[in-house]
Amino acid sequence: MTRKQNSGQKLNRRQFLTGSAALVGGALIAPGLVFASAPKKPKEIIVRAWGGAWGEALKAGVADGFTAATGIKVRLDFTEDNEIKPKIWAAVDQGRVPPIHVNWDTTTNATISALRGVTVDLSDLPNLKGLLPLAKPIGLKGYPLVNTYAYVYVCAYRPEAFPDGPPKSWSVLIDPKFKGRIALYDDGIGFTPVAVLVGGGTRKDIPDNMEPAWQFYRKLKKNKPLLGEDADFTNWFQNGEIDVACTISVNARAARQKGIKVAWTVPKEGCKVDTDGLWVPKGLPPNEEYWAKQFVNHALTKEAQQKWCSMLGLPPVYPGIKPPPDLVGDVAYPTKPGDFKNLLRIPSKVLVENQPKWFAKFNEIFQG
Amino acid sequence: MSSDKPAFKYPLSWRILDHAENVAALWPRRWSPLTGYLLLVPALLLVFVLVIGLVYIFDYSLHELDLATYRLKDAFSLVNYHVALKSTTYRTVVLRSLGASFIVTAITTVLAFPYAYVMVRARSSGTRKFLLISLFLPFFIGQVVRAYGWLIILGKEGLLNTLLASLGLPPAKLIYNYPAVVLGLIQYMLPFAVLLIAPAITAIGEEIELASESLGADWVQTFRHVVIPLAKPGLVGSAVVIFTLTLTDFAMPEILGGGTTDFIANSIYDGFFQLSNPGLGSALSMILVTLGSVFVTVLFSLAGTGTLVSRENVR
Repeated sequence: MTRKQNSGQKLNRRQFLTGSAALVGGALIAPGLVFASAPKKPKEIIVRAWGGAWGEALKAGVADGFTAATGIKVRLDFTEDNEIKPKIWAAVDQGRVPPIHVNWDTTTNATISALRGVTVDLSDLPNLKGLLPLAKPIGLKGYPLVNTYAYVYVCAYRPEAFPDGPPKSWSVLIDPKFKGRIALYDDGIGFTPVAVLVGGGTRKDIPDNMEPAWQFYRKLKKNKPLLGEDADFTNWFQNGEIDVACTISVNARAARQKGIKVAWTVPKEGCKVDTDGLWVPKGLPPNEEYWAKQFVNHALTKEAQQKWCSMLGLPPVYPGIKPPPDLVGDVAYPTKPGDFKNLLRIPSKVLVENQPKWFAKFNEIFQG
Repeated sequence: MSSDKPAFKYPLSWRILDHAENVAALWPRRWSPLTGYLLLVPALLLVFVLVIGLVYIFDYSLHELDLATYRLKDAFSLVNYHVALKSTTYRTVVLRSLGASFIVTAITTVLAFPYAYVMVRARSSGTRKFLLISLFLPFFIGQVVRAYGWLIILGKEGLLNTLLASLGLPPAKLIYNYPAVVLGLIQYMLPFAVLLIAPAITAIGEEIELASESLGADWVQTFRHVVIPLAKPGLVGSAVVIFTLTLTDFAMPEILGGGTTDFIANSIYDGFFQLSNPGLGSALSMILVTLGSVFVTVLFSLAGTGTLVSRENVR
């Protein structure tokens, strides 16, 4: 008996669509009966996630609903996104089962993994239909990943430190008044393209002439910024370590929800807007791959998108979902084409080909 | 009748030992001089595995990353070493790591020696126990937790700044800089140094110090000409361990450095994970291994192997 016959779980497109349609339609009627003909359920599926406010939102918005519908537990793995990447790559290369079932990842990192050929095609997920165009990865065949929401790297600040109103320009980062009290991501992610504009360049300079950004960074270094990850920003605001930072609005909002006085703005040079997505690694046993894809499919339902993205405070890819009350009209919650006017979206292809070089240059300036 | 009594049964432990002896008897008698070396097998296996890993890392370091596929190219190349050695960033990171290793080794040794001396020579068992508990307590708290402890103490709203504020002084920037990293490392390394120096001091008979003093040497002379030279094996062992642990440290620069005080280990991490470039990460790893090996070789050739290889001391 061949392995294929033995497993009995290798799925074709038709079977997957049938199963998925049953999931979507039947979940509303009789959750317990929906998966009667579906492949064997694993005890749990492991989803890599970011911690803090991010992980809480995924759990409440997507994971709990998935468990309620399927009975499959969802374990969140908070391994850093950059750390899980080589582990998955190595597992796929060596024919081992990858360490997670679903990766919640930045679109750039996910695209890099797609280019390496380690992602499962998600084109047959029924819930892809009707999503905003933002959901489709650009420059890739099919859906090796699906974008789930957009986010903005805002200029977050402590209003107490800015009695005259929000910072109007990113040049506030090189104001000696804030020396040692500013923060960026530790690889410059979210700011480097904007730094080109603050440094006197134009959008056309990206990516061929990044020198204005490097010049701005050299000035910025003298102002002794703190460099960290998502969770650091919330802590730094909470502990009064910083007055202004370039960070994803989610972190600033999380700090504000903890009672810390933090606000955010989009300065005149604009802010970088980006997307995150979900993808399933190759190499999972067929039944586990099926349920991993069902998890992604579930994350694209209206209910999951509404709850998940509302908790994060980010615009989802499911159309027509209203923003949370505290973010109506917020600069960090773009919903209309006009809202994107002052936001800088760099194509994935440009980011994939250039971001590692930008990271290296950023390190050279700030560690050198 | 004796037949009614149950047959005598040897205890289980005896039977196990009998079997063990039978198995040991399979070892040819003429090979008995090699028996002791069998104990080295686990250590040799461990080293063998490490060497295998190192060979792979060396191989990775000789291949350039292809950004189109994010895989290492097949062709051999020294480009990663060229990047690592020519870049001012990595040069600064290497110098920063080496500088911290020397500073931490020096300060830790100076602090650890009197601690170890008092701990060994204390007359009161209460004092000895107190010093021992103080020494071992930090081992129960991991490096990361200790680093966060420093954040609580030195942070803007931490203990020291609260004290400064109560005195009407402005807050001081005490964390997220090089001195904070060095301070954290010194605190982390101190117990290691004490534990490595203490056996060397224990081996110095008190009567030798008394003999020195009876010959007219004062306390300082005895310390300088008797205690320090005899404790040299412990000092060398401590220096090797502290220097190499500091050189390869990751957590303290990561947590207390504020992102701008990276050591070599942080750059290796960035190479492997942030840049997805195992070639560059491997080249930096090889440089780190080389630096550590050179330091240890130089120190051993200048000062002997210390307590790490004690054959000469036995004589």
